[in-house]
Amino acid sequence: MAQNFNPFVEQVPENVKQAESSKKVSNDNHAVTKRLHKELMTLMMSEDKSISAFPEGDNLFKWVGTIMGPKDTVYESLKYKLSLQFPNSYPYAAPVVKFITPCFHPNVDTSGNICLDILKEKWSALYDVRTILLSIQALLGEPNTRSPLNTTAADKWKKKEEYKKLVLESYKEV
Amino acid sequence: MKLTIKNWTGVATWRWVANDDNCGICRMPFDGCCPDCKLPGDDCPLVWGQCSHCFHMHCIVKWLQSQPVNQQCPMCRQPWKFNNK
Repeated sequence: MAQNFNPFVEQVPENVKQAESSKKVSNDNHAVTKRLHKELMTLMMSEDKSISAFPEGDNLFKWVGTIMGPKDTVYESLKYKLSLQFPNSYPYAAPVVKFITPCFHPNVDTSGNICLDILKEKWSALYDVRTILLSIQALLGEPNTRSPLNTTAADKWKKKEEYKKLVLESYKEV
Repeated sequence: MKLTIKNWTGVATWRWVANDDNCGICRMPFDGCCPDCKLPGDDCPLVWGQCSHCFHMHCIVKWLQSQPVNQQCPMCRQPWKFNNK
């Protein structure tokens, strides 16, 4: 058989049927746990010490991640904890990611909710825990002040001294 | 000396020719199968998009089905079109 074909055009009804039925099977979470296990292995082997993540207790669908504030930003040397909750449809749908450590930032609200496109409409099945944490880490130093969740933070962003004071005031290690 | 071959068994190996080792969506090896299948081979084939990115067919179909609008390649975000080469 040729290696490549369009399952929607050519004569391969059986394979497509299989793809559809496998969609139903995904209730058993087997594929999701398999991928999460792989991601955990990759993260544990990773040299990057500025981000880490580990499942919380026995539940592989709930992780706690840690990011260090990026160098040369007001967040430098601050450690932030985040929660990641994976849906049964992961990686076809994004996990819900929130700050546990209070974070004063234009794109983070007081409950820890994060406004980041790749966790919403720009999600791709190729993203993983590592790339999510790296993106949030980058977001700390490069906020989007045009659509802020925390308007005070967005207003103060340009006034570095004042901003840093507010960051440190709201920071509380957990 | 003359040999008479009474019987013989042929053995062959195969692998998919892809430009990567693993499927980016499920992270399983291309020479294995997607996590929903049991056996690798024609029942769990690879497919390419016109953008040249390659996935397990079951994985990319699931991705496209999870995207009600703008069906894009999860790698490069170009509109996904199966490459019928």
